[in-house]
Amino acid sequence: MAGRGTNGRHGSRGHAGRTAALARLLHKECIQLLELYRNSESLPSSPVDGGYLVSIPPLVPQLSDAEKISILHAALKECLRLLEDVITQEDAEFSDEDSEYKRKWKTVRDRLGHLLASTEQLLVEGQKFEAKVKEELDGQAVSGSFRLKMWIVRVLQDLVHWTGQTSDTLRSLPAEVEKAPKTMSRRTRRGAEKIRK
Amino acid sequence: MQGWVTLALLLSLGVECSLGQNGVGELPVPRGLTLNPDLPAQTLSLTWQSDSSLFDLEIFHTELMNVVLNETVAVKTDPVTGLHSWTWHSPLPLECTSHSAHIRARNQQSVSQWSPLQTIPGSDIPEKSESNMFPQDKVVPVGSNMTFCCIVKEKEDFKEIMYGRQEMSATRLSRRTYAITATNQPVSGNTGTNVICCSQRLTLTGAVVFVGYPPGDEGLVCETRDLASAECSWKKGRDTGLRMRRSRTKYTLNGRDCLEANERKRWWCSSKAWEQSWTLVARNPLGTVQLTDSAQLTDRVHLLAPVNVTAVEVKAWSATLQWSWSVAAYKKLEMVCQLQLFAHELNSTRNYSGPGLSSVVLESLWPDVDYTVTLYCGSKHGFWKWGDKSAPYRIHTKMDRPDALDVWMWMDSSNTGRVFWKPLSVRKSHGALVGYEVSQSSAEEDGWTPVSLPPGNFSYPIILNNGSDITVAVAARNPAGLSQPSTVTTPAYRADSQLSMSELLSTNGSFVLSWQPNANASSGYAVEWVPTGCSGLCPVDWKKVPESDSSFTLNSDSLVAGVRYTVSVYALSTGAPTLLQRWQGYSQEMTPSQSVRELLPNQSGSDVLLSWKATAMENQRGFIRGYTIYLANAAHLELIANISDPEVQSYRVKGLSLSSYKFVVKAYTSAGEDAGATVAIKMEMDTADMLFVGILVPLGIMFCCLILISICCYKKREWVKKAFYPEIPGPKVPGDWSSPQGPLDVKPSPHSLVHIVESPEWDFTKEGLFPVPEEEEESENDNIEVDADSDEPALLRYYNQVVGDGSHGNQVSDSSGSSNTSVDSTQTEITYAGIQSPTSSQGACGGGGYRPQMQSVIGPAEPQIEFEADFQDDGLHAGYKPQCSWQLDSPEAENFSGSLGSPTSVTSSQFLIPESSEEKPQPSNTWFHNFLSGKS
Repeated sequence: MAGRGTNGRHGSRGHAGRTAALARLLHKECIQLLELYRNSESLPSSPVDGGYLVSIPPLVPQLSDAEKISILHAALKECLRLLEDVITQEDAEFSDEDSEYKRKWKTVRDRLGHLLASTEQLLVEGQKFEAKVKEELDGQAVSGSFRLKMWIVRVLQDLVHWTGQTSDTLRSLPAEVEKAPKTMSRRTRRGAEKIRK
Repeated sequence: MQGWVTLALLLSLGVECSLGQNGVGELPVPRGLTLNPDLPAQTLSLTWQSDSSLFDLEIFHTELMNVVLNETVAVKTDPVTGLHSWTWHSPLPLECTSHSAHIRARNQQSVSQWSPLQTIPGSDIPEKSESNMFPQDKVVPVGSNMTFCCIVKEKEDFKEIMYGRQEMSATRLSRRTYAITATNQPVSGNTGTNVICCSQRLTLTGAVVFVGYPPGDEGLVCETRDLASAECSWKKGRDTGLRMRRSRTKYTLNGRDCLEANERKRWWCSSKAWEQSWTLVARNPLGTVQLTDSAQLTDRVHLLAPVNVTAVEVKAWSATLQWSWSVAAYKKLEMVCQLQLFAHELNSTRNYSGPGLSSVVLESLWPDVDYTVTLYCGSKHGFWKWGDKSAPYRIHTKMDRPDALDVWMWMDSSNTGRVFWKPLSVRKSHGALVGYEVSQSSAEEDGWTPVSLPPGNFSYPIILNNGSDITVAVAARNPAGLSQPSTVTTPAYRADSQLSMSELLSTNGSFVLSWQPNANASSGYAVEWVPTGCSGLCPVDWKKVPESDSSFTLNSDSLVAGVRYTVSVYALSTGAPTLLQRWQGYSQEMTPSQSVRELLPNQSGSDVLLSWKATAMENQRGFIRGYTIYLANAAHLELIANISDPEVQSYRVKGLSLSSYKFVVKAYTSAGEDAGATVAIKMEMDTADMLFVGILVPLGIMFCCLILISICCYKKREWVKKAFYPEIPGPKVPGDWSSPQGPLDVKPSPHSLVHIVESPEWDFTKEGLFPVPEEEEESENDNIEVDADSDEPALLRYYNQVVGDGSHGNQVSDSSGSSNTSVDSTQTEITYAGIQSPTSSQGACGGGGYRPQMQSVIGPAEPQIEFEADFQDDGLHAGYKPQCSWQLDSPEAENFSGSLGSPTSVTSSQFLIPESSEEKPQPSNTWFHNFLSGKS
């Protein structure tokens, strides 16, 4: 089965556990950030029309755990890009004064970067998945302050969703499925069994 | 009738009809109506062609055909275009729904036909199926009213429109459009106020409105820092509340963008060249503010801070300070500089002026002081404001020789004294002192004898060997050198007792002194004060006053409350100081800290003389004004005397009865009484009373008793005779014994004699012959205890005291053989007719032979000890021992208690004690009882 080519030399269980814990923490922080934003903007808690911005291939049961992680990694990568765009746009449009909400933005952004780096070590080499973004944040797509705010909510909703998915997937990983970190020596990596259906 | 009515109706209808046809016919319908919406401005321009100048206008919300405008307007033809034009401002964004309009011409009561309807489509037409809200990102002033509309997307329901957190009441304008109106809008938050349209399940759409104020900037001022360019600054004023980048206030200065303010949010602008006048325009979407300022460059010079401040020459009393300027143009500028010197208690500000000032000499500094210098300058001509301050610069001046000391000499006896000097302040020491040098010279000795003392010393002892005056010189030394010596000559010693000192009263804790000017006081006067009665190292203090003064106020801060001071004034001259006057006083009197000493009571008959001594002076803490004497009762003190003369230190309390008394004596000053000394005395009778009460009264009582007894005996003499001297019946013997009769010699019967002798033998043999088991012994001992009266010895002792003589007489008579008792040893009665002398029992119980107590050896320990003790005691005294004889006397001693009261017991009153005799010790039917009760 894909992703099973592990060597136990580095004890990758610990790394996957740490990654799962990081994803869980980030998921919690994303929920807090969304809540903080909705409170500061007096926005209703009902979801914003339009669904998730980031779309990925369906995580069907036939996919291996490693493939699922690779797909989620791609989604998170797009989330980070959207998040950075949002921060830039918001600073340009509104006041760039410091606030708790702004500090939380930065924390989530940094932690998402760490999660991406951490999950990258669990990916199967050679596998490449891409996530798509349905709408882009540009002058055409987002016009008006309210739409920018709704865009921010949608990005945050995506963050909550995809970090939750990642956290659940990482937590459900059986120990033997986990892969050794990518920091293994080149020789070891070359020698690692390449599993692909 | 009916025909007339019908005719009238037809006529009226005909008139109306003809009038209407006439109006239409005369006024042509306006042509070419066109609608031009300005969506951001929410205005709709209508243009048409017509020859008329008065028109009726109607505007509808197309979908529901709600009339939103119905107005008659007078519009003239534009001479250029030949068109009529009129603009309508819609309270509702025109995108919210489709608007239709038509127009007709009017000439007073005549109107034309309506023109065809012209419509501008809204955003709620089916072709635009998505949700939308209008207006978007509007910037409006605080307090304004505003209408928002929400267009719900196709196939979606509408729930509500929220303005911020407030749910608003919505009005339906079309199939998909709903509108709200926000009135008196408050200032928005950082990111505006959200207006949100929601369906039951989704947030459909929304808009942001920015509510704020127009710019409130004020106070434009321009100045130059480099004598060439300009810097204009102003106050921001009221916050506009508009944080969105595109609605922030934009500034221009003389038409140029102000980058400092627009980009860096600072409230100043710079300009490379000075201009005579300046105009600042502050603009935001809600308004514009224009500020102006005009001035000559020389009147607006704001100098930069001096740089490179250094002290080039630092001395003890001065220093030279140099600095430089970062702007070359300053060198020719006539400027004024202010220099601030900070030091401990030595702060000062100095002004200097000159062209391009870059160096000053700081005079009047103090030696060995750390100064911190701060410098700033301004233009002298047309002074505008002080320039920026330089960085603080530190200067430490050099040391110099100390100032001369303030020296005084205090004599505590005729040939001993001490020279004192006051410590030098920082201002006078001019550097840390390293010591003092004391030199003294006398008339007999040539030269000075110097002594070096460490810096902590402030006095030095002086001894006058032969009574001649000594002159002492004292100088202080620091690293820079020695001070000028200060000299003082020993003043003549004058003891307090030699002077008539007056009492010095304080005023608010201070002494106000004045004295007669003295011609010899060529060097002024010295006021000296020292705690009265002080000896050894006393805290002598003094103050020298100039000769022109003859008064001095000794402040309370140099005096201690409750301490008596001796204050002296000396005249100072080249020789020894001369004492002019001396006082004693307290700066503040307090209550004595200790009570009077040696308070003693001395009884004299019914009087008590209280005497005491005043407490030591250091404890008086004020002049003793007198004493109060109190009698201490249980709860309070009762004042019995107030002695206002402090010299009187005794008081006689008169007329006291025989009882105990407590007296409290308190000394008082002007501040009050002390805690008081207490003395107690118990009043006793004197010798005569004692003699009377102790001897004569008992004698009198005894005499009375004897008289009463005598009377009683006399009245009962028959009974007494019968009881104590019964008639002895004569022996009845056969024969004639009547004459001659010899003296009666009654001897005990042989039987009785035998019985008496056998009884002790039995007791002795009992111990040796019957060694019984322990249990039996205990039971015996129990009996013995009861019988031997060990439980109630006093009871039986009392009983025996009362009746003992008779009972012992029985025993003694048995042993001695000289008795007047009849004895029946086997049974029945023994009659005791007389009282035996106790001394006759010695033969039975005393001496070393007979020890009846020995039988209780095996008894319990404690009773035995008691017995032995009693026995030994009795043996020593060889006196009366009723217990012994009584016990031994019974032939049935083993179970004696059982025999008491039995038919076989001896009917002596001694033995008629019931078993409960412990509680009723007195027999009821004895002769003694009879005697007491008076029965014969």
